[in-house]
Amino acid sequence: MNLRQKLLLLLSLMVAFIVAAVAWTVLVRMRQVFEQRDQEETALFVSQFQREFQHRSAEVAAAVDRIAASERMRSIAFQLAQSGDASPFVTEAQALARDAQLDFLEIIGPDGKIVSSAQWPARFGYFEPIAGADEPAFLKTEDLPDGSSALGLFAIRHVGHPESGAGQPIRLFGGKRLDKSFLADLPVAPGMQVALYRHEDQSPTVAQQDHFGPYRFRFDFDPKRLISTSGEVPHADHYEPLIRSAFQTGQQTNSILYLTSRREDSVNATAIPLKSDTGEVLAVLTVAISRGSMVQAQQHIRAIAYGVAAGGILIAIIASLWIASRVSRPIEQLAHAAEEVAGGNWEARVPERGHDEISVLARSFNHMTGELVAQRDRLVQTERVAAWRELARRLAHELKNPLFPLQLTVENLIRARELSPEEFDEVFRESTHTLGMEIANLKTIIGRFSDFSRMPKPQLERIDANEALRRAAQLYFPAASVAAENSNMESKIDCVLEVASSPLWIDADPELLHRALTNLVLNAMDAMPDGGTLTLSAKSLEDKVEIRVSDTGEGLTPEECERLFTPYYTTKQHGTGLGLAIVQSVVADHNGAIAVESSRGGGATFVITLPSVDGIPT
Amino acid sequence: MLRQTAISCLVAALVLPAGARTRPHYGGTLHVEVEGDPWQRSSGLARSLVLDGLTAMSPDGTAQPALAVDWKSENGNHRWQFRLRPGVHFQDGSLLNSAAVVASLTDICGAGCPWTAIRAIGSSVIFTSDSPLANLPELLAGDDYRIALAGAGNPVTAPVGTGPFQFTAFSNGILTLAANENCWQGRPFLDAIEIRANRSIQYQWLDLSVGRADLVEVPAEQLRQAHDQRLTVVAASSVSLLALAVSDSGALANPNLRAAIALAIDRGALSNVIFQKQGEITASLLPAEVTGYGFLLRAERDLNKAHELRGGVAPPLLTFAAEGGPAMQLAAQRIALNLRDAGFNVQVVASGASQHVDLTLRRVALESIQPQPALESILRAAGLAIQVSESTPEGLYKIERQILDAHTLIPLLYLPRAWALGGRARDLRLSLEGTPQLANVSLSDVQPEAAP
Repeated sequence: MNLRQKLLLLLSLMVAFIVAAVAWTVLVRMRQVFEQRDQEETALFVSQFQREFQHRSAEVAAAVDRIAASERMRSIAFQLAQSGDASPFVTEAQALARDAQLDFLEIIGPDGKIVSSAQWPARFGYFEPIAGADEPAFLKTEDLPDGSSALGLFAIRHVGHPESGAGQPIRLFGGKRLDKSFLADLPVAPGMQVALYRHEDQSPTVAQQDHFGPYRFRFDFDPKRLISTSGEVPHADHYEPLIRSAFQTGQQTNSILYLTSRREDSVNATAIPLKSDTGEVLAVLTVAISRGSMVQAQQHIRAIAYGVAAGGILIAIIASLWIASRVSRPIEQLAHAAEEVAGGNWEARVPERGHDEISVLARSFNHMTGELVAQRDRLVQTERVAAWRELARRLAHELKNPLFPLQLTVENLIRARELSPEEFDEVFRESTHTLGMEIANLKTIIGRFSDFSRMPKPQLERIDANEALRRAAQLYFPAASVAAENSNMESKIDCVLEVASSPLWIDADPELLHRALTNLVLNAMDAMPDGGTLTLSAKSLEDKVEIRVSDTGEGLTPEECERLFTPYYTTKQHGTGLGLAIVQSVVADHNGAIAVESSRGGGATFVITLPSVDGIPT
Repeated sequence: MLRQTAISCLVAALVLPAGARTRPHYGGTLHVEVEGDPWQRSSGLARSLVLDGLTAMSPDGTAQPALAVDWKSENGNHRWQFRLRPGVHFQDGSLLNSAAVVASLTDICGAGCPWTAIRAIGSSVIFTSDSPLANLPELLAGDDYRIALAGAGNPVTAPVGTGPFQFTAFSNGILTLAANENCWQGRPFLDAIEIRANRSIQYQWLDLSVGRADLVEVPAEQLRQAHDQRLTVVAASSVSLLALAVSDSGALANPNLRAAIALAIDRGALSNVIFQKQGEITASLLPAEVTGYGFLLRAERDLNKAHELRGGVAPPLLTFAAEGGPAMQLAAQRIALNLRDAGFNVQVVASGASQHVDLTLRRVALESIQPQPALESILRAAGLAIQVSESTPEGLYKIERQILDAHTLIPLLYLPRAWALGGRARDLRLSLEGTPQLANVSLSDVQPEAAP
């Protein structure tokens, strides 16, 4: 990752973080505000609903009051008191309930038995165990003829004054059913759903009381029992914890219910326990206010916030890109120029703009490279002069050696004119022979320089490096042994060839490589005048082939090692200093490298590494 | 006997003052309102006005000649010959003959006839049966066997018969019958009768009070109320049996459960409250005054015994249907409540539902005051195919005891049938089953010159 990318990433992340933090803060605050308003609205609705519920209770009580005070009811009470025969009034409760728009009405005689029942007409004569009278309306579960039961708001009233002294008074027990129609009459705001859950078996057993406490009972939630004005409530099972809590605690409970995986399908639900006069929870009224519009508003605002944030981040990225580009471009140019300088292009320059630190750096860089170029030029000039001097010295040295015998021979010829013709002829013959030899020697020297200046371009072909070593060994190992035998036994050179069993394929010019190897072999033999071991070896190193030529001669000093491949440098008395330079040139032309490993007295090893190739020879 | 005396006294009380005032006049239209269908059998008002039977029931409960002038049985009541009254014409003018009678009776009961074969020989109709039909004349006096002209009119809603009135029209819920000028019994006093069908009791009484109706129904449970309102009521007491038919299959296959049901019912509450003390509690199928052995059967509720007979067995939910109006439904609810007290789980369902019902509360008309045909008619109406071959009180008791011990038909109450009259109608009599005999009714406000 380059500087521009780092800068871009850093700036973008920073801006994105800031934008995200702001957006998150705004959204959280917005949600809190919405939730608070939602809670307040729900509380308002629930409060209104409870007032309406109280109002309905008062209506029921008033309706029963009106019946109790009616002329018809007083007449019934009178006739009952007079005759004691309740049979004529068996259907009265139905008519009275119908007129008063009550769902339940029972006329209870002085003996506590039902005279007439609107909700269960056949129940006349049965004892009605309710007690009390002239009290506010209360909730009660009433049994019905079909075996079911219904929840209702009830009130009990005496017919006539209870303390009139006329014995046990007749009582009226009337009420309204809490069902879908009751719910439909309640004021319901848009988005509000009112439902009623009634549990059939609410009587706690003793064991359950012991286990759960006085107000707890076995609660098996049945979603079908939760009814609203439109029938069964969708997703009723989600209301279970709320309703269960209201049943078990007897307290109003509020919670947000997520009916589906979509947030807009959530409701703010309140469970209101409906208790009997004994405190038993008979049913739970749920008031669920849809959070759909609120969630949609939140989502709308969130979408806008996300859009603004995304736009801000995009703009920030563009700005960061521009800033990063502006900041990093001079540095990149400087780095690029430095790379060029490192790569050898000392002419590289960077533009100098402004007066900031980057421009100072650019000016310094340009000045530095300018200095480097000047120094290089001076160094090249110096090296060139030195090379010419060395060449001149070498040439002088090389040419001086043959010139001195030539001079002596010419001087001998001049002096030989004084001698007899026979002696002169002999001297002349010897002198011309000497002259010829020295001239040939001069030609050889000149030829070597000529060869070095005309190194041919290698003709590459796929060869086995092992074969190249074998060829050099076959050519020079016998000669090394013969030379040793001709001198004495102590100066014997042992020749060792270590090649791999498998071919080591390289692309090389076989003649040039052979020439380089023979140069190294001859150097090694020269380095061991007192005998030693000459080792030729080759092996594979990953993608390279390593060729080693080792001797056990005197070795080289570190200074000699450094200058060993410099043209015209030699440690031998009669060397031209071009052998190793030619070897280096050949190796370089094969995209290889040559190095020397040596220590004084420890021999020397020349290591050639060449790129290996795959496949069969071409 | 007591019942006959009561009816006679009541009718005499109504008829004698009217007769003393003036002679009946011909003409006028009588407006009648009924709660049900006037064509329905057993209690259909229009059927008895349009159609006649081969025999008719006399006030003493025996068969008397109607379309047949005489009859005789042969071969131990296996063969009956009824000789038709000559010169009787149907309302369309066609002559009544034995072939028409055979065709009508065949149409009525088809393969379900109590006789095996029926054929016409001259002016006689011959009935043959594999089993003796001792009470065939009384049987033929029943409402089910009235003679209609086959292939004429609508046999269900507008049959053509030989009765004192003939079908004219039926529109807007009003059935109009016109006097049959050529009736073999003589022309009725009324020119026409308009019967408004399917009218609720409340509206019937309202129409009676404002003079739009001359004759309306008074259900047993409202008989006391009618008296309280000082309506002119004509009633026939103990003419229908309120009985509980109990299925002897399914959940109630156990006879002990059926016996427990019989013991769990509080007949007193039904009679005293629901039927406003107008019902006569009975534990026998036939009225006590007819048989004389009614006191031998217990009608009291015994809840403990019912629990004991149930023996802790809790049968599955029993379905209970009641045939009839609100009072019948209320009675069914009360009986269901009684049964719940005895440990039964009962659900009252609508009558006519296709589902199987375990208990059915129904009213069975008593078509005769003669014990044997009366018991036969009750059993036939209850769907029990039991032949009553005995006519002695001991034999009848044995048969009835056998039926009651099976607890498939539990008698509860005998109920009266009553009508309320407007100020115009005169000389109204009720048949034994409580159907008004309107052929003899005249209107007091008809001018004498309007008579033919």
